[in-house]
Amino acid sequence: MEYVVKTKGLTKNFGKEKPVTGLDMKIPKGEVYGFLGPNGAGKTTTIRMLLGLMKPTTGTIHIFQKDLRKERVNILKRVGSLVENPSYYPHLTAYENLEALRKILGVPKKKIYEVLEIVRLSDVANKKVKGFSLGMKQRLGIAASLLNNPELLILDEPTNGLDPSGIIEIRQLIKRLPAEYGMTILISSHLLSEIDQMATTVGIVTNGKMIFQDSIEVMRMLSQQKISLKVNNSEQAWRSLLAKGIKADYKDDTVLLSEHSNKKIAEAVRTLVQDGFSIYRVEEEKRSLEDIFLQMTRGGKEG
Amino acid sequence: MLSILQAEWYKLRKSKILFIIFVGPLIGLFLGLTSNLSIDVAINEWYLSLFSMNLTYALLFLPLITGILASIICRYEHQAGGWKQLLALPVTRGKVFIAKYVILMLIVLAIQLLYLGAVYVVGMIKGITDPFPLEIVWKSIFGGWVATFPLVALQLWMSILFKSFAAPFTVNVIFTLPSILAVNSERFGPYYPWAQPFSMMYIGGNTDDIFFVPWDQLLTVVGGSFVLFFLGGYLYFQRKSV
Amino acid sequence: MIKKLLSSDFLKIKRKGFWFLTFLGPFGVVALQMVNYGVRKDYLLQQSDNDWDYYLLNVSTFTPLALVLGIVILTSFMASLENETNAWKQLISLPVSKMSVYLSKFTVLAFLLLISSFILMLFTLAYGVFLDLGEEISYFELFKFSFYPYFAGLPILALQLWIATVSQNQGIPITIGILGVIFTYSAFILPDWMIWKWPSLINEWNEPIINVLLGIGVGCLLYIVGMFDFTRRDVK
Repeated sequence: MEYVVKTKGLTKNFGKEKPVTGLDMKIPKGEVYGFLGPNGAGKTTTIRMLLGLMKPTTGTIHIFQKDLRKERVNILKRVGSLVENPSYYPHLTAYENLEALRKILGVPKKKIYEVLEIVRLSDVANKKVKGFSLGMKQRLGIAASLLNNPELLILDEPTNGLDPSGIIEIRQLIKRLPAEYGMTILISSHLLSEIDQMATTVGIVTNGKMIFQDSIEVMRMLSQQKISLKVNNSEQAWRSLLAKGIKADYKDDTVLLSEHSNKKIAEAVRTLVQDGFSIYRVEEEKRSLEDIFLQMTRGGKEG
Repeated sequence: MLSILQAEWYKLRKSKILFIIFVGPLIGLFLGLTSNLSIDVAINEWYLSLFSMNLTYALLFLPLITGILASIICRYEHQAGGWKQLLALPVTRGKVFIAKYVILMLIVLAIQLLYLGAVYVVGMIKGITDPFPLEIVWKSIFGGWVATFPLVALQLWMSILFKSFAAPFTVNVIFTLPSILAVNSERFGPYYPWAQPFSMMYIGGNTDDIFFVPWDQLLTVVGGSFVLFFLGGYLYFQRKSV
Repeated sequence: MIKKLLSSDFLKIKRKGFWFLTFLGPFGVVALQMVNYGVRKDYLLQQSDNDWDYYLLNVSTFTPLALVLGIVILTSFMASLENETNAWKQLISLPVSKMSVYLSKFTVLAFLLLISSFILMLFTLAYGVFLDLGEEISYFELFKFSFYPYFAGLPILALQLWIATVSQNQGIPITIGILGVIFTYSAFILPDWMIWKWPSLINEWNEPIINVLLGIGVGCLLYIVGMFDFTRRDVK
């Protein structure tokens, strides 16, 4: 598989603090990669390293299959980014702020109007950014990140400070970009619901470690409801189900069925009854993504 | 009021303020140890030492450093919206302004006292045996301190007005540089507020008054500019939108 | 790459007072002599046989001070431009090398100060002519007192830019700058190796050109040290 971003054993130490330890990140081309983790988990530090703002203590970063250490400038030509709070020059207008970046990027001037239109700031293009609301500054930051038609777009908490309609707009924009321009997007957030609505691949980080990295479908699967069976002798019941080729788990003196179609459940219950087990309860156990997320991040803390 | 003062000091402690406070005596040591002024008239050797040290210290260093101190005490308020947090607390703006001013003046006093220490150390190193002219030194140290009252007030005003360090510093430089000329002029020197630290620390002055400058000059020039700058800053801060 | 950065940096310094300061510095230096000569012209004209040279000497007593103060102010302004909203991270995330970012900042400031020196020459000449100091204008002295301090001051520019760009708290570079101003003011007692002495064009051999050459040489050296430290550091 072609990975746009690939890190290996990425580690950053600030003295005794270790915000990122041994992080392996893989972002396939054309995906919206949701980089998820609680506050202070090491997301921003990782992103700073991806952009060459910080040098990793150990580990390697490859972007577009090129080593970031050797080809930082060539890589960054194809990357757009917005890190944490938006950066801007308050004494310049929105247009001038983008012009200051455009001069360096060397893209045509019409691109400025284009990106201002995308983030709906065209009306205030000639106003000083000093007077902008937080949401407007955030949108200007997103406009800046789109200026060079990036192949990889890195957005750190891009919906920070946006109002609900702004959030929806940005969300739709992010969903549209991979399809229309073949962009790959890395988007970080501490809100699972946000990632859930945009991402196609998810990486969960906590305490500087990657604890989950796979497609959103796999993550959703984890959240699917499970059927739990309380039986007089659970362990034996579980073995007998496995022997009959029915997928099941055994945990906390309960049998958990992975399959949850009515037919499969009926089959499992019938088998157990035929084998002489007493069934006390058949319950549906729902786990939300939040539960999984919390469970994973808590696990990370213990480890 | 006391709690605001304590809070101000608490915030200031970790602002590299100690580094800046100790630059004063270091400058004093540098100036004292590098000077080799000598005249054949028999006068107290401490005067010679003081004379050469006070010139640069009072003319340039003292006025310029007040600006840095004022900027530092406003720096963390400008950053990340400190003003709005501070003024949303149950405090009046007037008290905040006065607290910041009082802290600044105490720091300037500390710098003056450390400078006095530097003067003494220079004398020890040079092996001056004459009696230490305590009265005159006190006059000079406290006089210099009093002379910074209006300067600190203006710099506090400018530091609240401008976010950056460089802008209030520029204002300070524009006013301080001409004192080099002003102190040479008998006509303008006494009326130029930025030349007052020099005049008040200049040990050759008239010693009959409490300080080295006459009372009327002290009250009109130092007092007048103090009232002007302090009220200006105070009223500006009252109306500043944060 | 450096051309693009320069044109971007010149856009950023709009409306921030950079150009105003570039003009104000030399104007202030000459304005002080306007006051000086305005108040006691007759006395000053009696002081020397060559009124032009004496006038140039008077102007040049403030040039080093104004230059060093100008350097301190401009470098700090330049750093706070990027510091204020932490725009360093945005700038460094662009496809530019950190070295060229630093070079561009240095070049802009060196250019502004050069313009300052040029304006100083014009103002000095204009007021000198206005004072009617005689026919014999020493053009070489005029050139020397306007541009030599600039080249001799390059190490201070390199040092202050370095400190200002790597300091989060601009109080540090400005305090160090004040130290430098005190040194420059005390130039006559400083040993020759101290960079703050050089803009005064004093040295034990009485050859101002030595200060110019030292300034360019050591300026380059300090520039390189500052640039490498800047590229080595993580961007916050």
